Amino acid sequence: MSVVYFVIQQTMYFAIPLLIVAIGAMYSERSGVINIAMEGIMVMGAFVGIFFINIFQDRMSGQKLLLLAILIVAVAGGLFSLLHAFASINMKADQTISGTALNLFAPAFAIFTARMIQGVQQIQFTDTFHIDKVPVLGDIPVIGDMFFQNCYITTYIGIGIFLVAAYVIKNTRFGLRLRACGEHPGAADSVGVNVAKIRYAGVIISGVLAGIGGLIFVIPTSTNFNASVAGYGFLAIAVLIFGQWRSNKILMAAFFFGIMKTLASAYSAIPFLKSLPIPNEVYKMIPYIATLIVLAFSSKNSQAPRAEGIPYDKGSR
Amino acid sequence: MKKKILSLILAGVMVMSMAACAVKKPGAEDTAKDGDKKDSKGGYELALITDVGTIDDKSFNQGSWEGLEKYAKEHDITYKYYKPAEKSDEACLNAIDLAVKGGAKVVATPGFLFEVPVYEAQTKYPDVSFIIIDAQPVKDGEAKLEDNVLSIFYAEEQAGYLAGYAAVTEGYRNLGFMGGIAVPAVIRYGYGFVQGADAAAKDLGLAAGDVSVKYTYVGNFDASPENNAKAAAWYNEGTECIFACGGGVGNSVMKAAETAGKVVIGVDVDQSVESDTVITSAMKNLGDSVYDAVASYYDGNFAGGTTLNLSAKDDGIQLPMETSKFTKFTQEKYDELYGKLKDGSIKVENDTVAEDATGVPAEIVKVELIK
Repeated sequence: MSVVYFVIQQTMYFAIPLLIVAIGAMYSERSGVINIAMEGIMVMGAFVGIFFINIFQDRMSGQKLLLLAILIVAVAGGLFSLLHAFASINMKADQTISGTALNLFAPAFAIFTARMIQGVQQIQFTDTFHIDKVPVLGDIPVIGDMFFQNCYITTYIGIGIFLVAAYVIKNTRFGLRLRACGEHPGAADSVGVNVAKIRYAGVIISGVLAGIGGLIFVIPTSTNFNASVAGYGFLAIAVLIFGQWRSNKILMAAFFFGIMKTLASAYSAIPFLKSLPIPNEVYKMIPYIATLIVLAFSSKNSQAPRAEGIPYDKGSR
Repeated sequence: MKKKILSLILAGVMVMSMAACAVKKPGAEDTAKDGDKKDSKGGYELALITDVGTIDDKSFNQGSWEGLEKYAKEHDITYKYYKPAEKSDEACLNAIDLAVKGGAKVVATPGFLFEVPVYEAQTKYPDVSFIIIDAQPVKDGEAKLEDNVLSIFYAEEQAGYLAGYAAVTEGYRNLGFMGGIAVPAVIRYGYGFVQGADAAAKDLGLAAGDVSVKYTYVGNFDASPENNAKAAAWYNEGTECIFACGGGVGNSVMKAAETAGKVVIGVDVDQSVESDTVITSAMKNLGDSVYDAVASYYDGNFAGGTTLNLSAKDDGIQLPMETSKFTKFTQEKYDELYGKLKDGSIKVENDTVAEDATGVPAEIVKVELIK
């Protein structure tokens, strides 16, 4: 049984960052702006967050420091994404190119700044955030073992963010307007919605979430930050596509990717899988193969927002 | 109208910043990063080319760079490092070209990647001296060492041996070896680790199969969630101590060890500052040997055309006993082992002994190869 618990706990480390970042990307794309800069924003978020922890860990520790870092990272991610918003909304630039620019810029900036300030590019941090067992909840049989032991507070924050984000986009006025701007900005404009404003909001939300995603990606998996999030920003975009731009499907996609990633790394510790003659590369391939299959079958009636990637021009209404 | 003004301002800012860059450049380069120093002719006499790592990778490249830097600072010689644009022979050779054009007289190239580039460069630049670490110039299976190349190898298997011996002496029975990419240096560490563990088990009188080693190469040198999950899975399954042998892989393993309350053995340099879970590190004295090689060049006795194989005999490898967190493995025991490695009464097989780790001679240790 302990293996099952272990796999579930480990899956959280993979799935939660993917989930948050993919939800962020969903907000941007459904407002009509392609945001492939998720990788860069994650790097920027992780950089700012880990750097903050590195500086303040002498003065405070534990969950308070982590929560504060998350807030700061959210602001940093939002600010950084403004570059993309400005280029793609005001300047009507090619959104793929401006996103790529951010992706290229972020790691370089992180390395340069870290070296300038502390001489080396790796930023160390001490992990005082790990929770062995959540009080009370951790004692519940089975469920406690699965979800409330050996975990980080970020897991619950991530799920909270998901619930709020899924509700907002589906059931609120803002969510409806955001979706309208992604499908048919002309129509939205004609009834008095400020398309530029809504799109700005979409991109900033994606920046905030990607920044947070970057930080909570690094904390459970390393002892330092080395200017990289190992391609998880791009993976999150794959999750978004696999989830067909719908929050519930994104949730499932993120956990599917997470479980496959865990199995690929940890299969040697799972007796049942170890006895199967399947090389671990197969597990590594499965999420991508699944994405390709889903794309192949759904490309005809793709759920992608119609106006995605097209700068809104009032004159062409 | 608003937009026009805005784009005018933006264009203005861009022009200004470009102008600023252009003006600053000559001055800015003099105070180039990381203490690079230029001589009056604007060249750098000592050059280091990094492989896929960086000069602060807490490992291989950093160790070499520190040796070069130390000599340069002490003797007021100009120095600089170059980083190939990508992981390919052409890019490495380009970096060498750049270094030579930049006035380099001695070029240090740490790593396996430089086999072919240095093979080409040694005849292309006969007046430049090359120090190639952990490799020798090879092309198409043919090794050739010109008079201007010094090739340095380490007996990593001896460092691995000491680490394995210490781990079993400390009472760990379920060990793990997590290598980066299966290059000869990493393989030597791993094989030595198995042999050391076996020797300690024999000395302790353990029965066959009492000690097990999980053995794998993860295929990269990065800190990644995948490597973290792999290590976490091993720890979860009962592994007590993992020898993390591959740059950033170590950070992932340390994280898993912190979570699981287990321990790690570091590699190449003393990694005890990285995490409290690091009980010791299997070190090779990169800094010292690069320093010595550079010194020999300036003293006029550069041993070009030879291959050095640094082992315990030359103090080329060690465990950092001052920072190690041993309770049972004593300094006396370490000195005794080190002495035996020195005089050759303990012989450790290197990477040529077996095709894979299950073939390493061991009577008590059971090796489980994980692909």
